[in-house]
Amino acid sequence: MVNPQAKAIRLIEYFLFGSAVILFLTGTLLGDTFYLRLGTEALIFGGLAMSVDLLLGIVGLLSLGQALYFGFGAYLSALILKEISPSFALTIVLVTLASALLGWVVSFIALRSKGVYFALITFGLAQVVAKVVYNTSSLGASDGMMGVPILKIWTPLGSIDADHPGTFFIISLLTIGSLYAVLRYFLTTPMGSCWHAIQSNENRLAYIGFKSKGPKQVAFVLATVVAAVSGALYPMLRGFVSPELMFFSVSGTAVVTVVLGGVGTLIGPILGSVLLVSFKSIIGTWTPHHHIVIGLIFVVIVISAPKGLAGLIAKHYSKRQSHRGDKSWAYFRPSSCVSILADSQLLKMLALRLKTSESPQLLGQMVPAKVPYLIY
Amino acid sequence: MLESLQYIYAPQMLNGLSIGVAVILMALGLTIIFGLLDVINMSHGEFYAAGAFFSVSLMAMGVSFWLCLVLVPLLLLPIGFAMERLLIQKVFHYKDRHILTLLLTFGVAMVLEDSYKIIWGSNPIKPPAPISGASELLGVMFPNYRLFVMAFGALLIFAVWLLIYKTQIGAIVRAAAFDKEMSSSLGIPVMLVYALTFALGVALAGLAGVLLAPIYSVFPTMGHDFILLAFSVVIVGGLGSIKGAVVAGILLTQLQSISSLYISPVWSDPLVFTVMVLVLMFKPTGLYGGMKNG
Amino acid sequence: MKKYFKKKQITQIIMLAALSLGATLAIAQTGPIKIGVVTPLSGTYTPIGEQVKMGLDLAAKEINAKGGINGRKIDLIYEDEEANPAVATQKAEKLFQVEKVDFLTGTVNSGSTLAVGQVAERNKKLIATTVSFADSITGDKCSPNVFRVNARAGMQSAALAAWVDKEIPKANIFFIGPDYLMGRSTVSAFKKASTEKGAKDVGEVFAPLGNKDYSPYFGQVRSAKPNVIYTSVAGNDTVRLFTQMDDYGINKGVTIVGASGTVTSQNLGAIGKSANGFVTGVGYSPKLDNPANKQFVADFQKAYSKLPDLYGADSYGLLYFYKAAVEKAKSTDTDKVRAAMNDLSWQTPQGIKKMRAGDHQAMQDMFAVRIENGEFNIVGMVAADQAIGPDVCDRF
Repeated sequence: MVNPQAKAIRLIEYFLFGSAVILFLTGTLLGDTFYLRLGTEALIFGGLAMSVDLLLGIVGLLSLGQALYFGFGAYLSALILKEISPSFALTIVLVTLASALLGWVVSFIALRSKGVYFALITFGLAQVVAKVVYNTSSLGASDGMMGVPILKIWTPLGSIDADHPGTFFIISLLTIGSLYAVLRYFLTTPMGSCWHAIQSNENRLAYIGFKSKGPKQVAFVLATVVAAVSGALYPMLRGFVSPELMFFSVSGTAVVTVVLGGVGTLIGPILGSVLLVSFKSIIGTWTPHHHIVIGLIFVVIVISAPKGLAGLIAKHYSKRQSHRGDKSWAYFRPSSCVSILADSQLLKMLALRLKTSESPQLLGQMVPAKVPYLIY
Repeated sequence: MLESLQYIYAPQMLNGLSIGVAVILMALGLTIIFGLLDVINMSHGEFYAAGAFFSVSLMAMGVSFWLCLVLVPLLLLPIGFAMERLLIQKVFHYKDRHILTLLLTFGVAMVLEDSYKIIWGSNPIKPPAPISGASELLGVMFPNYRLFVMAFGALLIFAVWLLIYKTQIGAIVRAAAFDKEMSSSLGIPVMLVYALTFALGVALAGLAGVLLAPIYSVFPTMGHDFILLAFSVVIVGGLGSIKGAVVAGILLTQLQSISSLYISPVWSDPLVFTVMVLVLMFKPTGLYGGMKNG
Repeated sequence: MKKYFKKKQITQIIMLAALSLGATLAIAQTGPIKIGVVTPLSGTYTPIGEQVKMGLDLAAKEINAKGGINGRKIDLIYEDEEANPAVATQKAEKLFQVEKVDFLTGTVNSGSTLAVGQVAERNKKLIATTVSFADSITGDKCSPNVFRVNARAGMQSAALAAWVDKEIPKANIFFIGPDYLMGRSTVSAFKKASTEKGAKDVGEVFAPLGNKDYSPYFGQVRSAKPNVIYTSVAGNDTVRLFTQMDDYGINKGVTIVGASGTVTSQNLGAIGKSANGFVTGVGYSPKLDNPANKQFVADFQKAYSKLPDLYGADSYGLLYFYKAAVEKAKSTDTDKVRAAMNDLSWQTPQGIKKMRAGDHQAMQDMFAVRIENGEFNIVGMVAADQAIGPDVCDRF
């Protein structure tokens, strides 16, 4: 039994990677700058969207202020590059450490609440900090900071000039790709399963011996780091930072791309970001009323395809499978916490391969006849 | 001491009260919609703007301000009803409907805001206040129209409270919120009740828009004016609680007003936000909990 | 009417001749001159973006009707920057790289102008702003590729301070501003200019940008007992501040003065009678009494049924500036045009402006303008060389 969602994810991964390679090759051959930089920008904001998706789609927490950490990473990166040294590696390392610390501290405030309250706290936090930065003249106040120097990135193959759009595109691709790989790895660990379990039913987690606080904190810190590292790439691309990077429109757009691409897939948001950035660029040239167009598209997607593009692709795969009679699936991890996602609340068919020492427990919403049939 | 009370604190508190009534009117609709429908309406501010814009157009056609106070909410009722029926109910049955309705209303807000710009242009418009002049209150001049808004607003809040808590209609609405399946099996048309409640909530926002337009003027991005403060009031007061919205509304606006005497104005929003976070940390359901269970 | 047709035919022939002449020159640049405009067409600054567009469109239409620049028509390509520097840089790059524009303008807030200036340097092209008045743009953050045709904040303060000193010497001034870089720096520029002339600073309040209710601060204002209030709010904030001051009677017996962007034709309608008596230092008024301006205002009203404001007028003047420079340089090559632009004088609705080479700031006469019943009446003037201030740009 293959998971339709996993198949959809695989497909999107190949598609994005393939398009990236094509873009790089054609762009470099044609000497293009604009489209390569646009693609880099799509990747950078895709990283932010990925961090929103980690919290929303995997753990079940909607953050409406993720742009705060994105902006934090961007400003810190600009400061390091200008004041300390124009070194890529140093910037990434420092941003990672600083944002992990920030995320850890903020988690004590934010994670006290759930659901709507969490969303509103993250929203308010981002608004407040953005306003403070807007008024801080040592950070350039409302003008932001200009004049970020062009990096020379050291690699074993020699020093690369970051100003070259094609090379920086590849660097960003590798950076965002590594973040993605790290998150995917986490999903295969017990921690990842706990995240899924928290999303399904947090209260029940204690019954199988896990606390929810630790995993939530880890997820929050990871999301902060992903957002900040993505943000750190921005001044390297555009040479400046401004407080608008922390405004609600950035957080809101990230949420839009997550829903567009597919909540919970991690790669979907990157696809969503690519689509939205290209779309905005095209529509913006035709009409200044692009907000209406994007708003309408968004409303249509939320109503008709709430799981986004990845969801649509997955549905297509599962339709093909259902012709073969499978209506539900489960993913398995070499861990003691198994999470089960089902199409309908009634599992029609489930097969588990267990070791003799393992015993399954079915946790879920209170539905009548939740009697597990275990057929050996 | 008494002098400073009269000349410094009292006028500030009065000012805070006039802002407070405005915020409470916004928060009322918001808390009713969340408390009764479990929907986070991110487009609430845009309905506030809609009310203001409608009143501007109606008054330009010669309709008197007083008539607008009645007409505009009536105009918004079917719009709110349609939005609930056609859009929100489509995503209602999903497990993660909190997030979906939030996103949905967020999209609607985008569309509405841009529409206002297309229809009415981007320049600000200010309708004249129906009551002019100022009275001397406690030694300072206070505009008569603001006094009217405070009085009218207070009456309105009281009327809404009466409606929800002391009438049969209100009981039906609360029952539908409390237990959807049970009410439905007792013969209450739950879906209709939901749609009407949403319509009422946004009509209230629109009414606030009509009332406040002469004070704060009208322009396409005005929906953002009160939204953070309104959400804070709703959270601090408790989602779904009218009493909470009133108490929190007065509390937070007084806090803002008095604190502006001592701290730079730009810190007043962070201050409100800090209070909100503190309340959430120690009493997550707000001061008065909610109307619903859990 | 007949005369117009005749003129058109003549211009067509001239254009044809010019085009064919141009075509024979081997390295000649042909085709339209593309000018990119990155301006806010959505969001809070839309009214300003609209005036910029109207001014540019009118000038382009006029110039094209007379044969264009060196026989090439102007093609304006618009992109919405949403008053966000991040978007502005992306759009600017698109215009430079994909559309291959020769020149770019339109940015409104100073953050966008500075950021786009950086993009221009990278792309070896020139840009000009017609709106941003932060002193830093032609001051400490000046750039060899950035030009400014509108008056900067320091020039506005000079004109206003001169008027205040003449009419209300040794005034007690209270300052109200929006709390962000532009709001604060405008206030401090005027504070410096006026206190140097003997006025007294009796207090200040900085409210957040987009503040809706100013009544909490009126107590402070009252107790300071000023006879002049200076404000740097703009747009919707002005509507609220002025009408609320009127409601509370704060403006009784007080002269209200402010920055040039505080009251413009976009928010004047909403402010109504509360704006009467407001005085500002500005580089333009629709009532400027010279033939060029009279013609401009008439043409503008005919085309758009609206009065032009400073943004429309300066944007209109920009295209003529560019035209003069390109005609002098006989090319659209960046370095040649830049050299031509230095110390260039050209005709605008505000009279003759001169572009100072040292910092790329245009010099012009500045006016003190008072608003009465919806009209911008000129009540004072400071000559260009006195208003411009020192050249503090040392980057080139």
